[in-house]
Amino acid sequence: MTTIVGIKTKEGVVLGSDKRASKGFFIGSKITQKIAKIDETLAIAIAGQLSDAEYLIKVAKAERKLMELRRGFPLDVKESTRLIANLAYSGLRNYQPYYVELLVAGVDQDGGHVFVADMSGAITNEDFAASGSGSPIAYGVLESVYNKDITNEKAKEIVSKAVAAAMERDPGSGNGIDVLAIPNLLVKEVSR
Amino acid sequence: MSEDASAGVGRFANFYGPQGRLVLVDSALEAVNRGSTTIGIKTPEFALISSHIKPTRTLIDPSEKIFAIDSHVGATGSGYIGDILQLIDELRVEAQRHRLTFENSIDVNSLAKHLGTFLHRYTIYAVRPQAASVIIAGIDQKGVQLYQVDPSGTFFGGSGFAIGQSSEVALTEIQREYSADMSVEQALKLSNKAIEKALGERPVVETGIVTIKEKEFRKIPQ
Repeated sequence: MTTIVGIKTKEGVVLGSDKRASKGFFIGSKITQKIAKIDETLAIAIAGQLSDAEYLIKVAKAERKLMELRRGFPLDVKESTRLIANLAYSGLRNYQPYYVELLVAGVDQDGGHVFVADMSGAITNEDFAASGSGSPIAYGVLESVYNKDITNEKAKEIVSKAVAAAMERDPGSGNGIDVLAIPNLLVKEVSR
Repeated sequence: MSEDASAGVGRFANFYGPQGRLVLVDSALEAVNRGSTTIGIKTPEFALISSHIKPTRTLIDPSEKIFAIDSHVGATGSGYIGDILQLIDELRVEAQRHRLTFENSIDVNSLAKHLGTFLHRYTIYAVRPQAASVIIAGIDQKGVQLYQVDPSGTFFGGSGFAIGQSSEVALTEIQREYSADMSVEQALKLSNKAIEKALGERPVVETGIVTIKEKEFRKIPQ
């Protein structure tokens, strides 16, 4: 269930999600937070088992903080995603997979990044991505309007549209939209 | 218990000397001071490591002294070569472990810290501390880096290091002529000169370098 969306822009990244938590055919919650802000430069959108995702996020948060203290500068977006993917992979290999598909999005020295990390431990680097039961519908919107020179402001609109469209037709998604934009404060100009 | 006694160690190992110094660590440092003269020089543009190769019998190949740790880091050492090799491998493994965990190259400070932790473990148990100091040169997100790590587990960053035989003489020479805007050629000359001063003869050296332009560690062919 769920619809989550992430877009890389020239100014950073934007994440969007619906707010429904399903318990089978029952709506378990109408105010679920599916976008977890790790810090000012990184956020993770959650699809799948909430408890598994919360655990992975907790570990990622701790490891990021620890690494920043140890080496004096933080993990970049890919490093953070690989860290989570390694946990997911060891879970898979131990027949106890983390039932999640995460959108790891954030900014670092190289600009904005959107990664998809799934329960297999694979990660892919994307310009835009969607996940959850509403993702095929969200992708329809994203494919038709996304371009590389998008601003965060415009991306917020697109993200809302994509999630809204999914909520119209996917029974697993609904009850409102959350949007988080992370502006790139680290680099003035993102080169392409 | 009685086995310990018969081994001459007693029930407890005597780590501290009467002056409160760690006797075993001091001995390890003493061994390092008898090792081949080894130098590290860093400017904002590059870091250079150089080590004297002691002459061997004509039919025996001299041992390698400059080691690639990862594509962006190199290291050298002074002391017992067996111990140096052990520490070099520890660095190489840590560099690859970081790549597996974070899919990125390790920063030099973390490497130095890891080696410091590794060496420190040998100072708290009744074992022989590693008789080797290591100089690490590399490049990372923060630029060109140079570190020295000692048998006590101490590690420090800096722009000029000398370890091994007559390292005091070599270090004085480096301090006298070092400048932050020196070229690679000047630094090479300086390191050769410092080793020559320390040994009182023209030495055979092996040298490695990492520059901010190339971002890769490589040995300099003699």
